[in-house]
Amino acid sequence: MADALQILILGLALGGVFALMGSGLSLVFGVMRIVNLAHPALIIGGAYVAYWGFKLWGIDPLVMLPVAALILAITGIVLYKLVFEREARSAKYSEMTVLLTFATAMIVEGAIGTAFTNTQRVTSPDYATDAIFIGDIFIPTGQLYAGIVSLAIIGALALFLKYSRFGYAIRATTQNRDAAELLGVNVNLVGMVSFAIGIALAGAAGALVSFVFSFFPAKHWEWIAVLMSLVVLGGMGSILGTVVAAFFLSVIAAFVGAWIGSTWSTMTFFLALFIVLLVRPQGFFGEKPELS
Amino acid sequence: MRYHKVIVTTAIGALMSTAAAADVLKIGASLPITGGFSIAGQKHKQGYELCVDMINERGGILGREVELIVSDNRSDPATAINQYERFINVDGVEAVYGTFSSRLTFPVASILAKNGFVHPIPAGGALRIYTQGHDNLFYFQPNAAEYVGASLKGIIEDLVPEGEGPMTAAVVSADDFFANAVEAGFLGHEVTNPADGSVVADLAPGYLEGSGIEVTFTEKWPEEGFSDWLNLANSIKRSGAELIIGLTASAEEAVQLTRALKTVRAEPKMVYFSQGTQAEFLEGTGESSDGVLVHTSWHADAPFQSTLGGEEFSNQDFGAAFEAAYGAAPDEDSAIPFAVCQGIEQAIVGAGSTDNAAMGAWLSDRSKDAPVRTILGRFAWDDVGLPVDKPFLMTQWNGGELQFVYPTDEFEGVQEMSYPKGGF
Repeated sequence: MADALQILILGLALGGVFALMGSGLSLVFGVMRIVNLAHPALIIGGAYVAYWGFKLWGIDPLVMLPVAALILAITGIVLYKLVFEREARSAKYSEMTVLLTFATAMIVEGAIGTAFTNTQRVTSPDYATDAIFIGDIFIPTGQLYAGIVSLAIIGALALFLKYSRFGYAIRATTQNRDAAELLGVNVNLVGMVSFAIGIALAGAAGALVSFVFSFFPAKHWEWIAVLMSLVVLGGMGSILGTVVAAFFLSVIAAFVGAWIGSTWSTMTFFLALFIVLLVRPQGFFGEKPELS
Repeated sequence: MRYHKVIVTTAIGALMSTAAAADVLKIGASLPITGGFSIAGQKHKQGYELCVDMINERGGILGREVELIVSDNRSDPATAINQYERFINVDGVEAVYGTFSSRLTFPVASILAKNGFVHPIPAGGALRIYTQGHDNLFYFQPNAAEYVGASLKGIIEDLVPEGEGPMTAAVVSADDFFANAVEAGFLGHEVTNPADGSVVADLAPGYLEGSGIEVTFTEKWPEEGFSDWLNLANSIKRSGAELIIGLTASAEEAVQLTRALKTVRAEPKMVYFSQGTQAEFLEGTGESSDGVLVHTSWHADAPFQSTLGGEEFSNQDFGAAFEAAYGAAPDEDSAIPFAVCQGIEQAIVGAGSTDNAAMGAWLSDRSKDAPVRTILGRFAWDDVGLPVDKPFLMTQWNGGELQFVYPTDEFEGVQEMSYPKGGF
């Protein structure tokens, strides 16, 4: 029983980090229909911002988080203007963005590698390798803090989307871009801001990732499939779904890793992806696609 | 008339540049500069480039300037194969340097053997690479990965006080070509030829059983995408193992595992990792690295004398040159390719040409008294391409320094091993 509780805690701890990593991806797809394969590469960018803040000036990565988010948000605006805005009305936009974001991921990886070398990095505040012990059960403080901050950011985003005027516009655009435009929503501005928010979330997630995992420029390729499985399971475009999927799959993966074998824990995410696509393509909270 | 002069001048210039180009000695190396092996791949590139630059400063090889062609194989075996094919059939290289990792070296070996090229291997320790029947392989590390465990067994027998050695072990491993090879030696597995399933080596009973150590926990994690390190570390701790053997495929994994073991407050007597000599390991683990044992092929303090560009060149000269070129101290991921480059230079000079058959014959003829001399020490090879009489160096992190601790009679400067490790 103690074993199961410990595994559950470790799964939840990992899920908190994955939740924020996947949320930005989900938001960008929901509003812009951009399948952003560059999202994990941008998370790496945020991780480097936090790393250098800690390395050069001793600034805690949690304090660097807003800085990373801001820098990545600006990067997001530039990317949107340069790469994604022009074809936003294309009927094949989602398909095109797969290739565009794949190329963007390679460019981002190359740029980060050129700027910071391919050396692996990890930020090491004391809490990153500490734990709270209650008897034999422990809660890793690094993951705990990352999970709390992650949920706080996602909660703030949810409040923004639900209660702010701009949040209404974003949700309206998510539901029906043409109808929103007919009702006076500046969908181009909404698209750009949503994209920037999504990339800012990548920056914030990067700051958390910087002390939870070690990272290097090419590390993002290991994350994209995991994050995509969260987004698909949660329902493409549903942030709540992504969060639920992150906790759900991380806990299952933790049990699989402990009771069946670590080799299979990563497979959990891919297996879930296959099953969801076969059984419930719209995921937990996505809308069932209509036949046209 | 003026146009005539221009044409003649251009033609002469073109002929001269062609002649100069023809005199350049091209050497190709396909490396994982991006992708999963990019950290080591980038360092290999630095090692090769520094060596070639220094050879050119000394007049080149046989009076010819060396041009190094490096291609990024993105850590992908198929790309590595294509790039070596291109080096040979399109770029017209006269020699090659090997790539990084057993995973990439294994498929590349067949291509280079087919083309009759000498294949100097900087990183490709899995025994099955050397049992394919190729006679062009020359490994520039001490021995096959399966035999690394002999050094840890030696440490336990020679350096740990009688009756205080670890009695139980946890062996955790990346599901990787290299890590699996090291694991096979520790656990006494059979090594099979992947082509026909035949047994090429039976390593029973394994170094752990041979040392009287009971294995209480084994586990593998996938080659890529594994993130549940705390769960793994918790299982290791709960196994009660006194010796933790972490067969990581990269220093990055060694960092992750060490941090996780610290978080769960594991307290083993001894810890050995298959990777972790790099500065990044120390940066990522800090004081937790104290007492961690790692095998290595190179150490900054090793007093090896070698040659470069026909001149005497010491291991310490390499360290100084590397720092001057890149502003950081080297580690084995740069030192090993540097040694490969030295070996190929000596082979070309020894053969008197870039005839790869002659180079291979010259390398095969090396012996203890007439070895290839590199910053990794002296090399002579057996008939499958593995070095003879060359033990791994065992190092231990202590106080932020990677100290050379075993074997104690290899050369002066050996430090006392700290034991037991205790917590992280």
